[in-house]
Amino acid sequence: MYAAASGMAAQQTNLEVIADNLANADVAGFKQVVASFTDVNAGGSLGLGTATAGKHPLFAQGKLMHGGGPFDVAIDGAGFFRVERAGVLAYTRNGEFTRAADGTLRNADGWALRDIRIPAEATAVHASTNGRVIIDVPATNHTIDVPPVTGATERTIGTIRLATFAAPEQLLPLGGTVFAATHDSGPERRIEAGRATGPSIQFGMLERSNVSIIESMMQILTAQRAYEANAKGVQAADEMQRIANNINRG
Amino acid sequence: MDWMASAMRAARAQLETATHNLANVASDGYRRARAAVILTPGGLVARETPDPVQGGIRETGRPLDLALLGPGSFRAGGTETRNGAFLRDRDGYLADQQGRRIQGQSGPIRLSETAVVGTDGAIRDGGRFVGALPLPRGTTVRSGALESSNVDAISETLGVLTAQRAFETAQKTLVAIDQTRDKAVNDVGRLK
Repeated sequence: MYAAASGMAAQQTNLEVIADNLANADVAGFKQVVASFTDVNAGGSLGLGTATAGKHPLFAQGKLMHGGGPFDVAIDGAGFFRVERAGVLAYTRNGEFTRAADGTLRNADGWALRDIRIPAEATAVHASTNGRVIIDVPATNHTIDVPPVTGATERTIGTIRLATFAAPEQLLPLGGTVFAATHDSGPERRIEAGRATGPSIQFGMLERSNVSIIESMMQILTAQRAYEANAKGVQAADEMQRIANNINRG
Repeated sequence: MDWMASAMRAARAQLETATHNLANVASDGYRRARAAVILTPGGLVARETPDPVQGGIRETGRPLDLALLGPGSFRAGGTETRNGAFLRDRDGYLADQQGRRIQGQSGPIRLSETAVVGTDGAIRDGGRFVGALPLPRGTTVRSGALESSNVDAISETLGVLTAQRAFETAQKTLVAIDQTRDKAVNDVGRLK
């Protein structure tokens, strides 16, 4: 009975994970999460059912698309943006940023891109594939000593640095698209974008989630069937118990 | 009567096997147990044997997802498993999802992101040999795929129902025998 019940619990977990994937299928930079299960045995061959072995994000690259926002940015290749909120450092592949009042670039949950602050006088922002962030400022700005040619001049204000991890699957999800480093993921290693091999920064682009809606729907059907089959098992075990209890009543 | 009790116990064990299998319909690399009811001098007994049928191979595209084609298993820590959903741990060693390191022919295997697992189980990192998975002769490894559980939910549900009916039958028979004895002991030879 408990083996079958553990199967129902596992499929419940599975359904929750798949539903969460589906809910985030349209969120830029979201990574599909997969729950995996393992059988549980008490010593010898006595089967105790199943248990969740882990829930891990799959960091397969999502497709890049044109974002349409003035501060959209995507990573083509491995690595994460380094973001910060209330002094906490975290990591994300969601580059759907908007400019906050203090000049920082923040995502929908208020996580700000580290090391980048857009000055008020900037009229346009772009970034090169190596992560260098360049702004246009009006030529009349007296802090610029280079003579203007086209009426505006460019200035580099910082570089978007990326982080990688020895075991990214062990990062701790902080909800949505943001992750925190853990002991098992190892510490962050900072890498530069735009090298011959390795990630590059794609300004104006967004990374789609890597969730396949069709695949997720199929997974839901399979999980539902498995849940029902396990429910049958619980029912049968219960029925046997009932018969055994009533044995001397004929 | 003892026989019928043993038949009920055997049916109960069959049910436990079937429900354990069902619970693991989504456990990658799981091999179902077969419960066969056999006749022994002590009555009916359910014997469990592993069902060695290969599970389905599912493409995942992750290079460190490994599926075994053929017999054998991976050694993760002190246990054996056919679930090849592996990762690199924080120190760069090949490990399973619970963090247990996978044993190669000569100890744990350290590898980089670019390592390639060959069909013969040999792991190369930029052309350099870094370790090999111990495999029985004839077994090959498929990288980028996982072996699904070999449990078929439909046939396992049938197993559950069969066990339930067998249990009922044994119980009914047991009651019938009991009633017959009741008659023999209490009613035979009674004078009205």
